[in-house]
Amino acid sequence: MDTSLREHFDRAVRGDPGADSEAMAHAAIAQGGRVRRRRKQLAVAGVAAGVVMVLAVVAGVNHRSPAAVAPRMTLVAASDCSVKPVQNHATDVVILPGDADGHVTDQMLSRLRSDLTDDPRVAALSFENHEQAYQRFQRLWPNDPDFVASVNPNDLAEFFRLRLVDAATYTAFRTQYAARADVVSIEGRICKPSAPVGGIQ
Amino acid sequence: MTDTVTPSRPADGDRTGVVAGWRAGRRRAKAARDEEFTAFVESAATRLRRSAYLMCRDWHLAQDLTQQTFVKMYAAWDRLRTGTNLEGYSRRVLMNLVFDQQRRLSGSEIVLAELPDGPESAPAGTPELRLALVDALARLSVKDRAVLVLRHAEDHSVDTVAAILGVSVSVVKMRNARALPRLRAMLGEDFLDH
Repeated sequence: MDTSLREHFDRAVRGDPGADSEAMAHAAIAQGGRVRRRRKQLAVAGVAAGVVMVLAVVAGVNHRSPAAVAPRMTLVAASDCSVKPVQNHATDVVILPGDADGHVTDQMLSRLRSDLTDDPRVAALSFENHEQAYQRFQRLWPNDPDFVASVNPNDLAEFFRLRLVDAATYTAFRTQYAARADVVSIEGRICKPSAPVGGIQ
Repeated sequence: MTDTVTPSRPADGDRTGVVAGWRAGRRRAKAARDEEFTAFVESAATRLRRSAYLMCRDWHLAQDLTQQTFVKMYAAWDRLRTGTNLEGYSRRVLMNLVFDQQRRLSGSEIVLAELPDGPESAPAGTPELRLALVDALARLSVKDRAVLVLRHAEDHSVDTVAAILGVSVSVVKMRNARALPRLRAMLGEDFLDH
C-alpha cells in the first residue's frame, strides 16, 4: 500500500518548477532579519512606554539607537529607584564585568568579586549569572515569548549588583571602577532601602 | 545621556575597543549564522516546497509558503539552531502557514474542501472519474491532508507527525484511518490496497 501511495505522491510533485535555494536563503535572511530587528525594537519601545527603561551604558553606547542595543545590555530600573542612572549620590550600583572585547573570564570575575567584597564602601554585594539574568529577562518580557525565545542565557551578561554604605562615596567609587580594564560599564541609581540591591528589576 | 566617565581619560581607548570588538563579534556571529541557515535552506527547500504543493495544489503558492517558512525560521534562528529538530520544526511552521492560508480562503469564495460531488460517490475505479492525487487531496479537510502528506509523502512516523502538528498520536491515527479510504476511493483502481 505504502509503495503505491508513495508513487502517487512522487508522481504528483514531478511538475516541481524548482527554485534557487541560495536566492531563497538570501531573501529569508533579509526579510527575517527585519523581523528580528523589529521584534527587538518593539520590545524596547514596549518597555519605554510601559514600565521604565534604562539601557546599561556600555561605553560609547550614547549615540546608538536603542534598536541596535543587544538584549544583554537591557537593564530596567526597580520601581523604588531613579529611572536613569545618576552621576552622583547613587545608593545602588550595577557593574558589568568584561575586557575591551567584552570577554569575561573566571579569574576576572573572582578578582573583581574579591576587590568588591574587600571594599569598605560596599554594604551588600551579589552576582547575577547567565541563568539568573535569563530568568530576570523572562520576567521582564512576559508578553513577548518570541523575543525571550530569541535570546540565549549566554547572550545575557553576568553582572554584580551592590549597595553602597554611603551614597556620597559613589562618584569616587564609579571613577575608580570604571577605569579598570575588567569593567565594561558601571551605573548607579538612587534607591529607597526597600529596592532590590543593585537598583534594577 | 552624559558620559559616565570624564572624556579624554585613557579608558576612552578601551571604550572604543569595546564597541568595535562588540560590533566585529556581532558581524562574525551573523556571518556564521547566515552560512548555517543557507545550508539548511539548501537541504530543506525542495521537500518543503513539494509538501506545500501537495497541500495547496499551486506551485507559486507553494513557493511563497516555503519562503515564508524560511523567513520565520531565520527570525528565530538563534533559538532554533541549538537543540531543535529543524526538519520537524520547519514542517510545523509550513503547516501552520497552510492552515492560516486555508482559514483566509474559507473566509472568501474559494473553499477547496467543499468542491461539488467528487468521484467518491461514483463507482470506484471508473477511469474517467479518477482524480489526480492533488485534486483528491484537496477534497479532504486540510488537517487530514496534512496528516497524509507528512505521513505518506514525507514518510514521517506517527509520533513525528503528531509532534509536528501538535496533536496526540491517536488523533493522527484517527485522521489517517479516516482519510486513507477516502483518498483510495477517489484515486480509484490506481491505488492498490496492499
